[in-house]
Amino acid sequence: METLVYIALFAPFVGSLFAGLFFARSPKNIIVGIVNPALIFISFLASVALAFHVAEYGEVHIKMMDWISVGNLNIPFGFLVDEVSVTMMVVVTLVSTVVHIYSNGYMDHDKSFNRFFSYLSAFVFSMMILVMSDNFAGLFIGWEGVGVCSWLLIGFWYHKKDVTPDINPAISPSYAANEAFIMNRIADLGMLVGLFLIYWNVGSLQYDVVFEKLPHLADGLLVSIAIALFIGAMGKSAQFPLHTWLTDAMEGPTPVSALIHAATMVTAGVFLVIRANPLYSLDAVAGVSYFIAALGTFVAFYAASMALVNRDLKRIIAYSTLSQLGYMFAAAGLGAYWIALFHLAAHAFFKALLFLGAGNVMHAMDDELDLFKMGGLKKVMRGTYIYMGVASLALAGIPPLAGYFSKDAIIETAFNEGTYILWFSLVFTAGLTAFYSFRQVFLTFEGEERYKKYGFHPHEMYKYVLVAMSPLAILAVVAGWFQETFHEFIIAVLPDYEMSHHTHHNAWWLGLLVLAFAVSGIVIAYKKYAQKGENAFKQDAEVENGFLYKLLMNQYYVPYFYVEFIVKPYTVISEKFWAIDKAVVDGTVDMIAKVLYRTGDKTRTMQNGNLSSYLNWMGAGALLLILAAAVSAVMG
Amino acid sequence: MEHILSILIFFPLLAGILGFVVDKNSAKAYGISVAAVEFLLSLWLWASFDTTNAGMQFGEFIPLISQFGISYNVGVDGISLFIVIMSALMTLLGIILLDESKIANMKNMIVSLLFLEMTMVGVFLSLDAIIFYLFWELSLVPMLYIIGAWGGPTRVYAAVKFFLYTFAGSLVMLVGLLTIAYLYHLEAGVWTFNLLDWYQLDLSVGLQFWLFLALFAGFAIKVPMFPFHTWLPHAHGQAPTIGSVILAAVLLKMGTYGFVRFSLPLFPDASVQMIPFILTLSVIMVIYTAMVAFAQKDMKQVIAYSSVSHMGIIMIGVFAMNAEGLGGSIFLMLSHGIVSGALFMLVGVIYERTGTKIMSEFGGLASIMPVYATVFGIMLMASVGLPLTIGFVGEFLVLLGFYEVSPLGTVLAGTTIIIGSIYMLTLFKRSFFGPVTNEKNRNLKDLNARELTALLPLVAIVVWLGVYPKPVLGPIDTSVKKLLVDMEYKARTPEAKETIISLQRAKEEK
Repeated sequence: METLVYIALFAPFVGSLFAGLFFARSPKNIIVGIVNPALIFISFLASVALAFHVAEYGEVHIKMMDWISVGNLNIPFGFLVDEVSVTMMVVVTLVSTVVHIYSNGYMDHDKSFNRFFSYLSAFVFSMMILVMSDNFAGLFIGWEGVGVCSWLLIGFWYHKKDVTPDINPAISPSYAANEAFIMNRIADLGMLVGLFLIYWNVGSLQYDVVFEKLPHLADGLLVSIAIALFIGAMGKSAQFPLHTWLTDAMEGPTPVSALIHAATMVTAGVFLVIRANPLYSLDAVAGVSYFIAALGTFVAFYAASMALVNRDLKRIIAYSTLSQLGYMFAAAGLGAYWIALFHLAAHAFFKALLFLGAGNVMHAMDDELDLFKMGGLKKVMRGTYIYMGVASLALAGIPPLAGYFSKDAIIETAFNEGTYILWFSLVFTAGLTAFYSFRQVFLTFEGEERYKKYGFHPHEMYKYVLVAMSPLAILAVVAGWFQETFHEFIIAVLPDYEMSHHTHHNAWWLGLLVLAFAVSGIVIAYKKYAQKGENAFKQDAEVENGFLYKLLMNQYYVPYFYVEFIVKPYTVISEKFWAIDKAVVDGTVDMIAKVLYRTGDKTRTMQNGNLSSYLNWMGAGALLLILAAAVSAVMG
Repeated sequence: MEHILSILIFFPLLAGILGFVVDKNSAKAYGISVAAVEFLLSLWLWASFDTTNAGMQFGEFIPLISQFGISYNVGVDGISLFIVIMSALMTLLGIILLDESKIANMKNMIVSLLFLEMTMVGVFLSLDAIIFYLFWELSLVPMLYIIGAWGGPTRVYAAVKFFLYTFAGSLVMLVGLLTIAYLYHLEAGVWTFNLLDWYQLDLSVGLQFWLFLALFAGFAIKVPMFPFHTWLPHAHGQAPTIGSVILAAVLLKMGTYGFVRFSLPLFPDASVQMIPFILTLSVIMVIYTAMVAFAQKDMKQVIAYSSVSHMGIIMIGVFAMNAEGLGGSIFLMLSHGIVSGALFMLVGVIYERTGTKIMSEFGGLASIMPVYATVFGIMLMASVGLPLTIGFVGEFLVLLGFYEVSPLGTVLAGTTIIIGSIYMLTLFKRSFFGPVTNEKNRNLKDLNARELTALLPLVAIVVWLGVYPKPVLGPIDTSVKKLLVDMEYKARTPEAKETIISLQRAKEEK
């Protein structure tokens, strides 16, 4: 089994080196396009085999070697493959395989084709370390690793120049990349503090040791650890107020958005909370857990509201990702860890599909992102239309697609816990989700063919790319049917979460209510955006000048706030400090030197070689001495 | 090879003197061979070093002035071993990087560097306070000459400032050292400057305090700690690349090494007492200089200030009073040497090509010089402390260790991972990303063989010690634990005994 673990982990790494070291500089090399997806696929096969092994025989825990060992601290490179990590491994490698194949088509004409594959595979490797490590420090390696890969990939088209933003604060890929990295680092500091607290109170960073000793720690300490770790999770999973980087990350190539900024990396925070479930389900930290759920619910609604008005193809999906991450946190915070993980997996499939579909549209439309310049694309892009439609249905939670099962379970959990405000917010947000998803689909594929006006000549994506996307489409449909199988599999390590009789009793109308919201969302979207001719969608200046529209379009002015009240003051203070450093700190030194120098310069006249002035000085000196003697005699 | 340490110290001196008669045109080749031999010798030292022995090894003792107990006394332990190796390595790579067509009078440069190498190795191996002080002061001379002879437009001002500022501090330190010898004489009736004997000296807390301050003057200016750091930007601004590399990689470490070798074991109570003071200065150093770095227009000044900022992390590690923090800070000295040395080399590379270091002159370099950008990117990531690079290990351990002393202080100092990435990523974006804004840069050549020879070993070390730091951390850990045990044993006040966490106590608690 050890071999399988190593294959699953290192196959992507080999791919990254292969693409990076051998082909970094040559133009597109088709071998990279074949070898890299193949290696990721091997990793996927190994992960599946491990999943069966784990289901049969339980976890695999191996220690490769020591990493850091100082004082009492010992951190190994250790890997734990249990039900939770193997689920993540399968999801990550599956989506990665599809995205790797897809990238062959999408990055076809890019001059940095090989570099792209090198980064993409490196990302998969980091993500595997993140989910497979058996200790918090190992998780942190992966955590920072995916951060760097995300930086490299958001900024992949680094040569683009900065454009002054109107409403969009990301002015270039390199800007967005730096923003993502720095914002994540803020959260990482919180995470590091969590690690320090754990180490000094438990004496180890190994999951098994830590989780065993946690219940014996003081309540206040547990709360601190829980908060610190969650701050880390907030960064990676882009929870409010550290969320702005995620939408700006859409500056990266679309396969990156699909893999990193939708399906896998951004779920790392959710994974951390699920992984640390022995901590978050302690009574002492119930307050923190509830806060996680409440914040998740808030973000679910908050992000969905911004998606309502946006006209950028990718940003809408990014908001929807944010919103769905909120759902996952809501479930995890309420103690339904396995449901959170289930939604994480289902979401990975349909959201990656949605993004890749959006990539097809961009490919067809010369990288145009404005929905108002599209419309009626269904004629030329039937395959993509079906895929995006299926993905949106799944996202909207229409039965029997994946999202119906996983999201419904989360909403039911909120009801079951008696947190009715959260419950209703989540229900309402489900309606919004359906609306904005289909607003996007209809604006793209239905209605008037607005693109003709702008001179676009759209064409469907390559056949093999569409075929490669099919596994995701199938999973977006069927993943939900395996809810029970997954449940049985996962509760071996995660605490079970069962609905009460009361909830069971009410399940039918709860489900119907959610469905009603979702369906009405779709219907409204259809009425408004899918019509042709007279009723066709037109921009309405009155609405667009309204307060609410502007508020949402400007993302509640949060990015504006960050620029005005954090970035600019930081720059100003830095400049001030530099001025102080030169004038005051260094100035003092120079002044001391000058005083010494001038004193020397002035007193130099004492030794001018003139005998009479020497005598004068001698007399003055003698007088001073006598005076001193006299004073001391009087005083003494 | 029982005299390996003396060979390590005096071989560069001898070779440097012989260097005067070497032919002008083969000066660089001569320098490389000497530095390579020295580096191999240092590796040989590592190979024959007993990693289980925490004490001094390969000791040599020759009385010089026995009336005053001054002797030639050298030895090496896990703390100094790797700093010596690092000094030899950075000298070698620095000489390799020298461009014969750009450096006038290469022979003098090589001789200065070899002389400098002797003083650096000497400082880290000395176990006699007077010998230590001699090497310490002598190291100023070649650096003064390097800055003054090969520096930029205001090199004389910068060189003199560097010299006088650090010299002034060292004089106060000398007074402190002489006082310790005097106190030892009072107590034991004999004169000695042997550091190992001094370790036995039991000083009152009050005396410890004043002596700590005296030595602090010498060490803190060298580190350089805020607010004594202003000589450094001037020195870096004017120094040639090789000067900056050695200065940042090795000379600054003399300061932090001094704290570890002298202040901690000699004044355990005062060291504990001074933690809040050191912490305050260090946190200011970390945050303030990082922000000043962000404001810079000149690439080299960014690296210079960032170097100061990272030295702040090393300082708090030294005063963490546990094996995790102290061991981490010694590891961080090495990684800071490697990474900041490499960054100065990289700035030198672009300066040699374009004659400027101003970031706004660049932009889009990544597409013109991809290999250069990649190496720079790796060093950048090491500098911001990315796991699996050398930069993470030390930084993580220092912050982890210091958390036990002061959680708030650690959080404040820990902001280095945020503000460090702010100025570094901004530098990278301004210089390497975006379209090519300066047409003159369009034909810049990527790294050549000479530059790759100097830089690739550093890249390899950055990854190797990031993934597998054990060979270096092991011996450091062993010696650091011994140091902490000695400190705890020697400490007088219960407060100090409480704060210093030696391994023995950690075991007892378990």
